[in-house]
Amino acid sequence: MTERSRRRVGVGRWITDLLLGCRLAVSGGREGWTRTVLTAVGVGLGVALLLVSAAIPNMLDARSERTSARSDLRFTQQELPAGDDTLLIVDVGTRYRGEHVYGRMLQPEGPDAPRPPGVTELPGPGEMVVSPSLEKLLTGPDGALLRERLDARIVGTIGDEGLGGALEHAFYLGSDSLDPDHARRIDGFGTPDDSEGLDPVLLMLTVVILAVLLLPVAVFIGAAVRSGSDRRDRRLAALRLVGADGAMTRRIAAGEAAFASVLGLGVGAVCFFAGRQLVELVTVADVTLFAGDIRPTLPLALLIVLAVPAAAVAVTVFALRRVVIEPLGVVRHAAGTRRRLWWRLVPPVLGLALLTPLIGTIDAESGGGNETQIAAGAVLLLIGVAVLLPWLVEAVVGRLSGGAVPWQLATRRLQLSSGTSARVVSGIAVASAGAIALQMLFAGVSADYVEETGQDPERAQFQVWGWSLGGHSETESALRRLRETTGIRDVSGFSTVYAASVAEPAPGGLPAGVDLVVGDCAMLAEFARLESCAAGDVFMSEAAQPVPDAPAPKPGERVVMSDGTATEWTIPAGTRMVAAHPDSPLQDAARLYVTPEALPPDVLRHGRVEFYVNLDPAEPDAVEHLRTTAVKASPYLSVIERVALRENDRFADIRLGLFVGAVLTLLLIGASMLVTTLEQLRERQRLLAVLVAFGTRRSTLTWSVLLQTAVPVVLGLALAIGVGLGLGAVLMSMVDLSVRIDWTSIGQITGVAAGVVLLVTVLSLPVLWRLMRPDGLRTE
Amino acid sequence: MKHATDAGARSLPSETLLTAVDLHKSFGPTTALAGASMELAAGEVVAIMGPSGSGKSTLLHCAAGIVAPDSGRIVYRGRELSGMSDAARSALRRSEFGFVFQFGQLVPELTCLENVALPLRLDGHRRRAAERRATEWLERLEVTDVAHKRPGEISGGQGQRVAVARSLVTGPRVVFADEPTGALDSLNGERVMTLLTEAARETGAAVVLVTHEPRVAAYSDREIVVRDGRTREMELTGR
Repeated sequence: MTERSRRRVGVGRWITDLLLGCRLAVSGGREGWTRTVLTAVGVGLGVALLLVSAAIPNMLDARSERTSARSDLRFTQQELPAGDDTLLIVDVGTRYRGEHVYGRMLQPEGPDAPRPPGVTELPGPGEMVVSPSLEKLLTGPDGALLRERLDARIVGTIGDEGLGGALEHAFYLGSDSLDPDHARRIDGFGTPDDSEGLDPVLLMLTVVILAVLLLPVAVFIGAAVRSGSDRRDRRLAALRLVGADGAMTRRIAAGEAAFASVLGLGVGAVCFFAGRQLVELVTVADVTLFAGDIRPTLPLALLIVLAVPAAAVAVTVFALRRVVIEPLGVVRHAAGTRRRLWWRLVPPVLGLALLTPLIGTIDAESGGGNETQIAAGAVLLLIGVAVLLPWLVEAVVGRLSGGAVPWQLATRRLQLSSGTSARVVSGIAVASAGAIALQMLFAGVSADYVEETGQDPERAQFQVWGWSLGGHSETESALRRLRETTGIRDVSGFSTVYAASVAEPAPGGLPAGVDLVVGDCAMLAEFARLESCAAGDVFMSEAAQPVPDAPAPKPGERVVMSDGTATEWTIPAGTRMVAAHPDSPLQDAARLYVTPEALPPDVLRHGRVEFYVNLDPAEPDAVEHLRTTAVKASPYLSVIERVALRENDRFADIRLGLFVGAVLTLLLIGASMLVTTLEQLRERQRLLAVLVAFGTRRSTLTWSVLLQTAVPVVLGLALAIGVGLGLGAVLMSMVDLSVRIDWTSIGQITGVAAGVVLLVTVLSLPVLWRLMRPDGLRTE
Repeated sequence: MKHATDAGARSLPSETLLTAVDLHKSFGPTTALAGASMELAAGEVVAIMGPSGSGKSTLLHCAAGIVAPDSGRIVYRGRELSGMSDAARSALRRSEFGFVFQFGQLVPELTCLENVALPLRLDGHRRRAAERRATEWLERLEVTDVAHKRPGEISGGQGQRVAVARSLVTGPRVVFADEPTGALDSLNGERVMTLLTEAARETGAAVVLVTHEPRVAAYSDREIVVRDGRTREMELTGR
């Protein structure tokens, strides 16, 4: 026989054996099918999550395309003249019971005025077009308060192409009274998506998050492929009896694994396509999507389709290296061989070797480019958790003895075969280690991405501000209406306009300028200590912390109002110096407190208004009433929550991404653990029945199952804390942060992980109890 | 010589331990028992015989309180099993009954000594005391040498002897043995049966033995034949 023909025989042999493996995966009646289906479900859950990850780029693009297409921003300094094809637009978006409502008020200036995407006809005055979700809310019982705010007639529905997602509340409101000075003029919707890339620190966070979330998925796919391996080994022993050699049995096993994993791909695809419909039912932090947005990118989808069966075959063949399948049964090498530590240390050591050179090299200003090294280092360190855990479990349980019967059953079981339990737990340990590291990094960098606003939400929880309502009397009227609003305990407010000194600034300095706080004496007294006040008076306060190089003009100086009219005014020489109230929100800068009579007429027409609102905590819908009053007062008013800390949007997005990813990963881990636990229980059905037959209490067996899971979980979490702290410390050092350990977060993470295990055990109890029925003794 | 009588019609040699009357049991569409009855006296060895699928194992499971019959009465020492809670039946099985099955009965992760000690530990005995008694029983069953081995490391015959030791370690009044020699060769089977019946007679335990092998049934005082879920009793003489 020539070399070539021998090779062909070899390839043919491979194919024959793999196909036989596939046949064995489906033959064997209900028992065989159940095993294959359980494996496929385990793999499928992992595949579904991988497909979701592969869909993230398309998901972001699709949403971004739609929101960019309806954008009304213009990136030009040139003023657009009114014409047949122009439209005045004002952002009248609001919030309702914690949910964002996208809203724009529109006023066409000619017959060719642009239409927003998804809108077939512009609404006329007193009309609006709304998203299906908003229409449902407005016509339902929960939307009563919002109906007061948006009381225009609904004349149409916004199509999907004009919405961020299926559940987005959105409306376009028609108007004929928009002021061109206060509204934006546009001749078309849509801006190119010019979103900036992430800064290196945020990019590092994202890379580590992806590694942390996807690695447990891989670990679980590996564990799922190996489920039911004991029975498979017995089946292979039967094949050895009829003449299969060792290599053939490995190929047959690989064929079985490949078949189950291909079936798993199918299950994963079904779960993915069925599950993506669910995104149209949820909104997370104001983000809503359409099911169609979740499309895996083709290269990543192909990678999954090829890599999963290949990994399944590799894992199976690798696992069989410790097993000798003999014609009369299975001999395990592992029985007398202790797990070796040295090679298990290789991945974490390599990971550290990749990460340590990056210490101190990453900051928000520096360029990126080392994401691959960071990802590889983090992944290798986390793989360390997965490969060290079986060794750790074996080393520790080998020393356990004594105890009550459940403890004895559990520890003995682990001593005999701890691999499966360790594998089941390794996914959660990897996820916990990654989460601990990320939590440390998040806590460390949060100061850079969360700014102190200097606002004191104790005194006023909301600020209403916007373009002038006309003049002082209109401001007073709005203040009155706000005070009469249900749920508002206290409001103070004023008109404001900025005045810049006409004098040339000092060399290198900024031009002097000051905000005028305009109101009657009662209004001004809310913000500053006025000993006496009469119409026509002017007062001035210094900044609590003066800003160098930005001086305020002095009394007697000439200033020009930045109100569009450039009205000049002299600060009265008799201006009295006063102090702002200690709890005043206006302490940040020097201010002029001016009664309207002291100013030239019409100055306030082009200024702004500000109101500070203190809500009654006893009225749960106070803020909704406030927003309604503000909208009714003017479309140019915005209601802003005053917070002491404000988070950078992208940092907040990444935090949200981590949260959503962590929830999905934990669900996957929980589901996979459940499948594996049930598989393990099923394999012990007869033994459980025998134990019950001679009077073993259910509680004894339940405790033994719980302890059998709990021991590896405790060890896994201990290892996770160690590796997580190590990875976190290295990542923090990379961005030059001093290493601090947040034990509360560690407690929360390990608590959640332990909770998942407990939940899985509780969910597996009904099956355990069913298997404990003595029916399991029946063989016929 | 054997002769047949109606189940329960014969006078028992001593105290009646267990009575099962007119038991019916179905698993889905399959009828396992259709009016089976039996009695068991203290210290006697009864063989339940019959072809595969005749219902003999189900009769044993019902009599031992493992499976509840659909109808019929089972009375053990004046207490009706069907009226007892699951916990009470479990406690009864733990303290009064012993079990030997054909296979899959030893806990694979425990050593043979720990397997034998297990029923005592489940009954609340301290570990050391339980293992001391277990050692005695392993000696009586001549398997001391495998005390510290796991079931996977010993032969089938040794495993069954360990199982017999476990069934007797609590000093039960009744040992239920379901095909105890079914997975053994004849030599090992004989050895196990000899040790089981001798040990049972020494301790005064009754034995209910399910088998389809006449050679195994020959160790009994009498036989009950089960066919199509119904019992017929064969009394043996000259044993």
